[in-house]
Amino acid sequence: MEIKKFKKLASTNIKAKELIEEGALPWTVVVSQEQDCGYGRKGEKWISPKGGLYFSVILPKNNIDDLQLLTILTAFVIAKIIKEEFNIEPLIKLPNDILLNGKKICGILTENVIGKDVKSSVMGVGLNTNTESFPGLESIATSLSKEIGREVDNDKILEKIIEEIKKQLETISK
Amino acid sequence: MKLKVRIKNKECEIDVLEKDGKLFIKVGDKEFVFGIGEEKKEEEIVLMDSKVECFLKEIKSSLSGSISEVFLKEGDVVKKNQKILTLSAMKMENEIVSESKGKIKKIMVKTGDKVKEGDILIILE
Repeated sequence: MEIKKFKKLASTNIKAKELIEEGALPWTVVVSQEQDCGYGRKGEKWISPKGGLYFSVILPKNNIDDLQLLTILTAFVIAKIIKEEFNIEPLIKLPNDILLNGKKICGILTENVIGKDVKSSVMGVGLNTNTESFPGLESIATSLSKEIGREVDNDKILEKIIEEIKKQLETISK
Repeated sequence: MKLKVRIKNKECEIDVLEKDGKLFIKVGDKEFVFGIGEEKKEEEIVLMDSKVECFLKEIKSSLSGSISEVFLKEGDVVKKNQKILTLSAMKMENEIVSESKGKIKKIMVKTGDKVKEGDILIILE
């Protein structure tokens, strides 16, 4: 697994797709401290200031059903890690979002390139870890640090998530 | 292999040899080769295959979902692997790319349309 770290990107999904064109291998992970144009499904904006964990994973080639399943499983994986690490109760809003106390804390977006079959896939995750404020969105968005009252380790959370996603993909691909 | 053949009450000996998928029949000092016609047939089949490729001019949806965005318009020339549209399906965003090159004759869908697997998205000239 190769982790490519950036200070600022338009979007980690966009960068990951560019890297695929340049020959990047599956399980390359693109992480950025902030995103200018983070987005979710149907182009909805994902506010991505410093402090949050924003990353995309280049997935191995897979069939479309497994990719959908993996997206759902990733939501479960992240919710499980949040619960185990911080002893709080997240709510999975299937298939792409995780909420804490009714507010959005995580979004997942899988993007595929399809010709006759799936040519490539990237899965992007936006997790509000240490985001301090959400101007204009305080009623619908929150972060881990706001909920538990302390900062969390982004690198450690990222490693755990990737490790779990790999495990899940191995299981569903068997 | 030598064989005896009777032709119009005349018996003669022929020499039959199979080699490289062809049949060589030697009658006296004349040699006839069979199998060339079949080879031509094979060539025709190859040509038909390449024609089939040329006629793959409909780009169909491999998923059911809704069209998020169409990037091209009628009359545009599309290259192989060029992004044509985005299809929101199975809670994922899917960029549909062209598998062949050609000029777009007709775009059958627009943003917001719902499509089923197998629906024609674009027809190329």
